[in-house]
Amino acid sequence: MNVLEVRELCKKYPKFTLSDVSFSVREGSIMGFIGRNGAGKTTTLKSILGIVHPDAGEIRYFGREFAGHEREVKQQIGFAGGAVDYYKRKPIRKLLDVTKTFYDNWDDDACRRYMDLFSLDAEKTPGELSEGMRVKLNLTLALSHGARLLLLDEPTSGLDPVSREELLDTFRFLRDQGIAILFSTHITSDLEKCADDITYIAKGKLIASEPMAAFLSRCKETGCGNTLDEIMVHFEKESLYEKAAE
Amino acid sequence: MKKLLSKEIRLAASPLSWIFLAATLMTLLPGYPILMGAFFVCFGVFHSFQNAREANDTLYTVLLPVKKTDCVSAKYVFTCFIQLIGFALMAVLTALRMTVLASAAPYVGNALMNATPLFLAFVLLIYAAFNGIFITGFFKTGYKIGMPFLRFGIATLLLVFAGEALHFFPGLAFFNTPGGERLGLQLGILAIAALIYAAGTLLSCRVAQKRFIRVDL
Repeated sequence: MNVLEVRELCKKYPKFTLSDVSFSVREGSIMGFIGRNGAGKTTTLKSILGIVHPDAGEIRYFGREFAGHEREVKQQIGFAGGAVDYYKRKPIRKLLDVTKTFYDNWDDDACRRYMDLFSLDAEKTPGELSEGMRVKLNLTLALSHGARLLLLDEPTSGLDPVSREELLDTFRFLRDQGIAILFSTHITSDLEKCADDITYIAKGKLIASEPMAAFLSRCKETGCGNTLDEIMVHFEKESLYEKAAE
Repeated sequence: MKKLLSKEIRLAASPLSWIFLAATLMTLLPGYPILMGAFFVCFGVFHSFQNAREANDTLYTVLLPVKKTDCVSAKYVFTCFIQLIGFALMAVLTALRMTVLASAAPYVGNALMNATPLFLAFVLLIYAAFNGIFITGFFKTGYKIGMPFLRFGIATLLLVFAGEALHFFPGLAFFNTPGGERLGLQLGILAIAALIYAAGTLLSCRVAQKRFIRVDL
């Protein structure tokens, strides 16, 4: 079953266009969402959450259209867009106390577990935490309400190698529990460790959306590279001299 | 909506929103344009908008399991909550001035507006202007507060001027009698102002929601 289906998503800005992006995320799978900086990963994630207003496209969660079921859908998804960037001067305890009143399935034990796992102190304010620790706080919020789908924008950026490894372990554990994860990153080595599927966009256009193994073997056969890093460089490296000549 | 109001009070509200409710005491000042009390109540709410913007409250709220338009409703509910507390306090003080203090010398010889039902009607019109001009202006972008507040400030000045000038027109001096005169007419005007406030607030909330749905955060 698909927990998320995106069909022909479009968003036009004066200097950037996201055009006809389509992909789907299966229940209990990890999908890596890759592309270089400015490719449209964050715009896509924000559009499928309504944070950005898409110009066209269909977004369905758990078989239901997002537009008419925003409240119910958001009960079942978690979003972490990098570090917590709000209420930086309020104690984390207060932030958690207010946030949990909105969720039907908020799990205090899970919240405490993730707070311990990430060594977060509830008496501190987000402003007192490093960037990496604020990423962990965002993940704690996303993981504490029994979400069936996690949408994570660059969740491993700013984390030290040990925390990254712990986080990837957490993702694998959550996948085994049937939770789907869509996470964007340009640290492709993270995806090679845990992703089942891959969606790749460049300059706002979809390049591929398929199982990771199939994508890697196709690229290997066509000489595009053996790793995600090599493949991205193959598709996107532009010669400085060519650019200057344009 | 109860949860969103609680969120507004616990996270987004500036202490100044509560402190500026003390400006309702201006209702008791003789020789002062007492309608400015309503402006200061709205100025207190304005500080909560500023506070929320600096704390990135809009993004936090949009990520909660609520509709994007609920962000707008939450701000309206909080604003009306503060405004109605302010109105209740001003209504009590007005009743005090119209009864116990009706014959007090400073009020009898007061050249400026006295506290009467007409004064309360103007308070509601200033509130409606805040909701219709400032809040809808704010939700055009979700972050710009300066220009919408300036527009509201100009509208308030016009309303204060109208309120203060009204009883100087021939035949309308009764509007400023400290104990209240032609109370039926004044209460009728108050009822119409209450309707304007309610309908204006609902309408402006719809407009703000429509605007905000298209805002890219």
